[in-house]
Amino acid sequence: MGHGEKRPFKKFKGSSSKFEDPRKGFADDDDAYGGDDPYDDDDGKTKDFSKLELKPDHPNRPLWACDNGRIFLETFSPLYKQAYDFLIAIAEPVCRPESMHEYNLTPHSLYAAVSVGLETETIISVLNKLSKTKLPKEMIKFIHDSTANYGKVKLVLKKNRYFVESPFPEVLKTLLRDDGISRARITSEGMHGDGFTITKAAGEIEGTHDELLNEAEVAAAAEEKEAHAFEIDPSQVENVKQRCLPNALNYPMLEEYDFRNDTVNPDLEMELKPQAQPRPYQEKSLSKMFGNGRARSGIIVLPCGAGKSLVGVSAACRIKKSCLCLATNAVSVDQWAFQFKLWSTIREEQICRFTSDSKERFRGNAGVVVTTYNMVAFGGKRSEESEKIIEEIRNREWGLLLMDEVHVVPAHMFRKVISITKSHCKLGLTATLVREDERITDLNFLIGPKLYEANWLDLVKGGFIANVQCAEVWCPMTKEFFAEYLKKENSKKRQALYVMNPNKFRACEFLINYHERARGDKIIVFADNLFALTEYAMKLRKPMIYGATSHVERTKILQAFKTSKDVNTIFLSKVGDNSIDIPEANVIIQISSHAGSRRQEAQRLGRILRAKGKLQDRMAGGKEEYNAFFYSLVSTDTQEMYYSTKRQQFLIDQGYSFKVITSLPPSDEGSRLNYHHLEDQLSLLGKVLNAGDDAVGLEQLEEDSDELALRSARRSQASMSAMSGAKGMVYMEYSTGRKGQAQIKSKPKDPAKRHFLFKRRYGPT
Amino acid sequence: MVNATKGVFISCDIPMAQYIINMNASLPASDKFIIHILDSTHMFVQPHVELMIRSQIAKFREDNTYVKPS
Repeated sequence: MGHGEKRPFKKFKGSSSKFEDPRKGFADDDDAYGGDDPYDDDDGKTKDFSKLELKPDHPNRPLWACDNGRIFLETFSPLYKQAYDFLIAIAEPVCRPESMHEYNLTPHSLYAAVSVGLETETIISVLNKLSKTKLPKEMIKFIHDSTANYGKVKLVLKKNRYFVESPFPEVLKTLLRDDGISRARITSEGMHGDGFTITKAAGEIEGTHDELLNEAEVAAAAEEKEAHAFEIDPSQVENVKQRCLPNALNYPMLEEYDFRNDTVNPDLEMELKPQAQPRPYQEKSLSKMFGNGRARSGIIVLPCGAGKSLVGVSAACRIKKSCLCLATNAVSVDQWAFQFKLWSTIREEQICRFTSDSKERFRGNAGVVVTTYNMVAFGGKRSEESEKIIEEIRNREWGLLLMDEVHVVPAHMFRKVISITKSHCKLGLTATLVREDERITDLNFLIGPKLYEANWLDLVKGGFIANVQCAEVWCPMTKEFFAEYLKKENSKKRQALYVMNPNKFRACEFLINYHERARGDKIIVFADNLFALTEYAMKLRKPMIYGATSHVERTKILQAFKTSKDVNTIFLSKVGDNSIDIPEANVIIQISSHAGSRRQEAQRLGRILRAKGKLQDRMAGGKEEYNAFFYSLVSTDTQEMYYSTKRQQFLIDQGYSFKVITSLPPSDEGSRLNYHHLEDQLSLLGKVLNAGDDAVGLEQLEEDSDELALRSARRSQASMSAMSGAKGMVYMEYSTGRKGQAQIKSKPKDPAKRHFLFKRRYGPT
Repeated sequence: MVNATKGVFISCDIPMAQYIINMNASLPASDKFIIHILDSTHMFVQPHVELMIRSQIAKFREDNTYVKPS
């Protein structure tokens, strides 16, 4: 690794005691890693690949392919760039530190690969070329099995009706044998037998069963000129897609939109402005989407601050049809509308916002509508005006459905949105495909496969996002606070006690002073715990924003933070996690957090990822190699240590490393900071103990119809799962129903499960 | 009159001392093992509890440590 003192992983000590839930009184998100990975076997011996045959010229080749589907890529290889582009298309990244990446082949990732135009044979031959070892037979077979059926079935939207189309009628019959699909089928009158609608270049004919079979061969030759199709119920589209995924019938549906030849829907005149220069990785993600001149549905994953909106706007500009853009709240609606105007030549009257405050309607027959998921999915009674707009949205055939922050929106909302709006192509954008409920795999059939995922470290090296120094600051508990922390009767106040730990407060105060005075930085302090947020902010006399802060006040505080030289620090509760755009900030201090939520950690880091300053300064070796700082303050010997390590896993998998700082504040600073004297500490302790249990808990955001996403997804504590098909090699999900099982998984210290290397070291246990 | 008692001298950091004190307090009077608390980082305890204290602390630390499942 480039930086000597950093450690990629934190491991404390190995011992073998069993794991009891130390988090009583806390909401536990019982997600865990690993899990029902078909290959994953804890027995180290199955990971012994010393038998694989090395090719004679192996030093020139960049990767290792193992027969359990894992692929390891050496990032220092001269072929790294090419190999990376290829691997990211066919496999799911598991962990991407600086020198060695780990990937995993899954049926879903291969499905995504073929959907961006790679063929089975190409995948195998390229993989073989890059691999140091001969490709294991198992892997070749796996690739064949996973990709064989791809592309045989298509989902087409024609004149507001959905059709399942295939050149092979027998495939359609296989599909129809499935209950779910046959129920979704709409049989119109006048059809006889098994009749599918057959479209020929010339027109439509109807045929009986026998004729169809004969025509199958012709169809295969004529390819797209002749297709057999049956209509399905629009409300069942999602079910049908789900049934067709690799883990069910294994006929993944191709969803492509031939927008150039779409003469039914009116064109929308919009071009990218010349000054909008997509960066290389943005180009690459777009090329995945428009690979063969058509638009594919799918998800593009880019880190926060890497320019997701430009990707979205560019996609809309290429398709040039009406576009429906969905954001999570009113603030981001404004931001999206602004981005459209900024990057494209779209005319003012062609873009409109539809929120509870502004109900605009575009003139002409095509345009861009920016709205929130909530406005579309809202089930209650609407005003007459919104009703009209919704009706318009419902009746229109959208060229592109652009969905921002797909990871935060609850799946049932997606369902609603997708059942209401009819679109030819869906593009989902997100930074973190991790989520705390089990719904993330649903995105696979709700939207489509993951088309592209950027490597964070490569973007940092390219200077596209800020180079962040992550640090975990260890604050020892004071004697009195720890004594209270240990008492059983205080179990509900534990969080408040470790957050209000005077040593943590002092470390926080020191960091704020240091960054404000010595470096002139702009600082955000995050605290999930409302009690702590208020205490800290009052004591340090800094402005704060939390759920109950009014929109006017928020805007005022943010404006002051952005422009004023006197306001350099703001305190944010979890409302600031992802909706507030503060490009000025470059330091984050996290004093309390939502248990072990990896996504929250990543989203918070995202607040400071937007690159600042000159490009050459940011490059490795430049004047300021690190220009952004992320501090996570942790009280040692408490549950917080557990959560903290867990929260970092996502970022560690992206290649970030956390430096541990143990001696803050420095002893000579001591008397200048608050809570230097024992009496002050004791009065603080009294305050914490006297506060009601509800006051010291987590902030509960009120239901706000426009900011529902903020409240919901992040708070659901069920579990999570990996996305775009990684059948969760990395982020596995467990439903609450299987809690017991999840607990077992989190007892890795069971000597029987210890990695065989360690078994050897500890001797037979 | 001088009274000699055999025991174990424990030296640890402040939080761990609190942990041991708390452990002692949670036991019934007959099982209490701390003979004398010398200061915030040192104490003198009954000799037979050493292993028990060690294993309790190991367990406590374990509970606060997250290990990425393989």
